[in-house]
Amino acid sequence: MKQNFLFQASNISKYYGQNIGCKNVSLDINPGEVLGIVGESGSGKSTLLNCIYGNLEVDEGDIFLNDKSKTILNFTKISEPKLRLIQRSDLAFVHQNPRDGLRMNISAGGNIGERLMAIGHRNYGEIREIAANWLEKVEIDVSRIDDKPSTFSGGMQQRLQIARNLVTRPRLIFMDEPTGGLDVSVQAKILDLLRNLVRELGIAAVIVTHDLAVVRLLADRIIVMQNGNVIEAGLCDQVLDDPQHKYSQLLVSSVLQV
Amino acid sequence: MNEMSKNENLDIQIYNFAYLDENTKRMIRRALLKALCIPGYQVPFSSREMPMPYGWGTGGIQVTSACLIPKDILKVIDQGADDTTNAVSIRKFFQKTANVAVTEKTSDASLIQTRHRIPETKLKEKQILVYQVPIPEPLRFLEPRETETRKMHALSEYGLMYVKLYEDIAKHGHIETAYAYPVKTNGNYVTDPSPIPKFDNPKMNNSPAIQLFGAGREQRIYAIPPYTNVKSLDFEDYPFEAMKANFKCSICGSSDSYLDEIIVSDDGKRSYICSDTDYCKEQTKLNSKKED
Repeated sequence: MKQNFLFQASNISKYYGQNIGCKNVSLDINPGEVLGIVGESGSGKSTLLNCIYGNLEVDEGDIFLNDKSKTILNFTKISEPKLRLIQRSDLAFVHQNPRDGLRMNISAGGNIGERLMAIGHRNYGEIREIAANWLEKVEIDVSRIDDKPSTFSGGMQQRLQIARNLVTRPRLIFMDEPTGGLDVSVQAKILDLLRNLVRELGIAAVIVTHDLAVVRLLADRIIVMQNGNVIEAGLCDQVLDDPQHKYSQLLVSSVLQV
Repeated sequence: MNEMSKNENLDIQIYNFAYLDENTKRMIRRALLKALCIPGYQVPFSSREMPMPYGWGTGGIQVTSACLIPKDILKVIDQGADDTTNAVSIRKFFQKTANVAVTEKTSDASLIQTRHRIPETKLKEKQILVYQVPIPEPLRFLEPRETETRKMHALSEYGLMYVKLYEDIAKHGHIETAYAYPVKTNGNYVTDPSPIPKFDNPKMNNSPAIQLFGAGREQRIYAIPPYTNVKSLDFEDYPFEAMKANFKCSICGSSDSYLDEIIVSDDGKRSYICSDTDYCKEQTKLNSKKED
């Protein structure tokens, strides 16, 4: 095992009865690195993401996180309280639909503050100040701090969800189609924002998407999945410019050119 | 005419002491013991149908029934008053089914069943305070899934509870929650103190009396043993404040007891009186003595 990795999954398998969710997937992520997972719908991308985040129990395989104190934790062995603590401090998860990741009936400030309060912040003034800073960072007007996310546009909701997740400075962020369902110009804005934040804060990220443009822009490395298996993995530009597997070639060639 | 109907105390003959049968009482006592061992933890119990609707204090009545012994002196209050509907009907219920002595004096009572208040008179050791609880789960309106709230309690994940207080301050500039103000019991479980005004919260802390909570519809019992630390949740820069209407009682003149606001005329004239009727009587007596 390498010493300076951040996150490692080895031989992950997940079955839904007879059906394969994902099979024998291994991946590792270095600090500050962005990994893209691409593939068509139903190829097991989201299953894999939920497995390695600890949301879904894996049937086979091990997941290791090199935590802040340099201890290596195995997700499949640690207790639930410990896992949940890690999920809300070291890790973060951005859902495709912001409604799944936000509390819609709680103000924007409260949404950002929740993770802070969950790890023990008890000073209202401080929490509010941090929340305001983050709204600024994700380009939401600070005057909207007391408005509920239900009054926000789709793009704003997604940016709020990103702020809510990044506020505790996680070291690894999982994103499931973060720009799905948004129109193209908003997508571009969010990608730009993500790229800056991830680079600026040195956060590692795993991005699941079927949009090759997203990985081209954000990812350092990618893995291509089909029917629950990893069929190709490598540096982003390398895989996209010179795909080796038949399916990867199909995927790259079917991107629409304007 | 048969034997039964000749008996004067017909009701006592028909019902077991304090209405519930002995096995049911044993089941409730078992839950109570568990609740006392784990302060603030909600113990499930198999709540019975009572001869009155849910919302009338069926949880409290079952707890009282399980605790009553013949030499108990019972006091029942509803919003602090001894003479309101809920208090009167429950007191009569136990007079009928348990034939126990009743009192309005807080200091004389060995068991007090209450709806939404803690008496102003300081409670003592060997007294039991039984609360009627409508919603035992403090996280209910923040997280609707019971499976999830149980997990949150087990792992002390109480960030969400603070989100509620945060929202209060963001909206109103101060913590607006005025009743059912969440507390942390024994530094561990966040507990709903039943809808008592937050004015009463400090009385729960380190109380010499046993505090028992029964929620009939929700089938939960929880407890705060004597001399247990009970802390109201707050922020460092917005500390907890026990508050009441800033007036004097227009009957006894007390300024340190919790007041009810009453509209006394058609043009909206208001008057404030003690919500604790026993305390108000005591104060009036003290005042008239002073005048003599």
